[in-house]
Amino acid sequence: MERAAPSPGLLQPGQREIELDVRTQDVEINMGPQHPSTHGVLRVLIRADGEIVTAAQSHLGYLHRCAEKIGENVDWLQYLPYTDRYDYLAAMNNNLGYSLAVEKLLGIEVPPRGQYLRTLIVELNRIASHLIAFGTYGLDIGAFTPFFYAFRERELLLDIFEKICGARLTYSFIRPGGVFNDAPPGWLQHVEDFCRQFEKKWPEYWDLLVENKIFIERTANVGIIPRDLAIAWGCTGPMLRGSGVDWDLRRDQPYLVYDRLEFKVITGVGYRGTVGDCFDRNYVRMLEMVESLKMVRQCLDQMPEGEVSHPDVGLIIRPAPGEAYVGIENPRGELGHYVVSDGSKIARRVRVRAPSFCNLSLVEHIMPGTMLADAVAIIGATDIVIGETDR
Amino acid sequence: MPALQRDTGWGPMQAYFEAARAAHAALSQAGFPVELHQPNLPVFAAEGEAKELAAAHKEGKHLWRGDAYVQLADRGRIVGLCRFLRDQLAYQQIIDVTAVDHAAEDKELWGMYAFLSLTTKLRLSVKTMIPKDDCRIDSIVPVYPGANWHERETAEFYGITYTGHPDPRHMLLPDDWVGNPLRKDYKFPEEYHGISCV
Repeated sequence: MERAAPSPGLLQPGQREIELDVRTQDVEINMGPQHPSTHGVLRVLIRADGEIVTAAQSHLGYLHRCAEKIGENVDWLQYLPYTDRYDYLAAMNNNLGYSLAVEKLLGIEVPPRGQYLRTLIVELNRIASHLIAFGTYGLDIGAFTPFFYAFRERELLLDIFEKICGARLTYSFIRPGGVFNDAPPGWLQHVEDFCRQFEKKWPEYWDLLVENKIFIERTANVGIIPRDLAIAWGCTGPMLRGSGVDWDLRRDQPYLVYDRLEFKVITGVGYRGTVGDCFDRNYVRMLEMVESLKMVRQCLDQMPEGEVSHPDVGLIIRPAPGEAYVGIENPRGELGHYVVSDGSKIARRVRVRAPSFCNLSLVEHIMPGTMLADAVAIIGATDIVIGETDR
Repeated sequence: MPALQRDTGWGPMQAYFEAARAAHAALSQAGFPVELHQPNLPVFAAEGEAKELAAAHKEGKHLWRGDAYVQLADRGRIVGLCRFLRDQLAYQQIIDVTAVDHAAEDKELWGMYAFLSLTTKLRLSVKTMIPKDDCRIDSIVPVYPGANWHERETAEFYGITYTGHPDPRHMLLPDDWVGNPLRKDYKFPEEYHGISCV
């Protein structure tokens, strides 16, 4: 006697339900350009099989403002405000990169006090930028609270910047030849107060986010970038150091007064997972804030008296014909300026090598095979600023 | 606090010269048609010297300042050169790929490549001429994957075709944008999809 086939849904005792032939359809998901986790107007086209990402493709250009073309049409000094607008979270660093490139063409060096002020303010800006990175990274993967703490501390830093140059986001403070003005009375004391305040708060952030169980589950062993991949793809900054590569332009090709300061280069060690995962990239940024704070303190201690700007640099700059490349360590990696001068008051070429641009190019290659929710964690850990990728 | 030395903080700039010299020697020994270009002005002029130089500049004397670089005479050998730099001279990272258009009447563009070595801590710039009427050069993506987006960007802004590029789409400009905006002879469009640009 033949047994009747079991009707679907009714299992015989001891029988396991095995779905051998479940077909899922590939879905194409448009992440962005208006998605909060893409940190601006980045559009990532994701093809997903169920919850697994099978392919990803970034589309850039929504914030393209022709910075390099503008550079060929305005004076050397007039271009400075445009540099603020590539990486608007670290505008001081952008000013510095451009100013160093122009100074190299001019063949001048800034007086010691100017150099110390530059180093001091650039490191403060790095803390502000890493605070945003840390706050918004928590936000991306579901922790809302750290964001408010990060912004509270950043507010103090913006007050410090406002006090010295009048602006809170786009400073144009560091300029070819030196800095815009000397620190106003009491400003250095203000910075010292901030240092005292910040060093008490920082351990709270560490406990709040980095040691948080949910955060570790979401980021450890996710989006692993092996060392060789990070090097081959031209990654720089925390993205490269997160993969365990011991490289920092401040130590290895020192500019300003970094060779007089003591600091450690933080690299990813696989603190909670594998070296080079999203957790490590965030870990590097967290500890870099402490190193920056150390450098700020040392700058305050060593701050010499004297002029802050080179006296020969006026409003019209005419560098000698030639070309120069200067790369500096931005919060996001190596910001390079390649400038070509023909001896006139307008540049012939201003090329900006943006760190986020290079770091982002790798992201679409590490995404396939990860879960869709991890795509957000990977983009967040890259810490991109779209103003910089699109320029 | 003692005054800063003139060369403080500019060690890497000196390293440029050494890097270019060493790379030039190694490359010419390997049979690459390369030339070494060194600026005839110091990177940092001493006090007083700067004023003399400025005066000479006003008289129209062509003085050149900046980084030393290596120029490759035959652009067809760029991929081989990159492979040599990566494997023999330990330049592991590509930092930048770009181009320069000096003037609208020029017949050639400069193709510019910047390399960085994480082990020897040196930087190297390599240049090669790309004629405007045959604006193509081999893609170096097979050697340095990091050049991918840089080449896409340079391609759309200068109209250079990187032969063998795996993904030759527009990078920052819209897909239907006409012209190469960073060429010196570029004419700004009057309208784009009905949006007036003037």
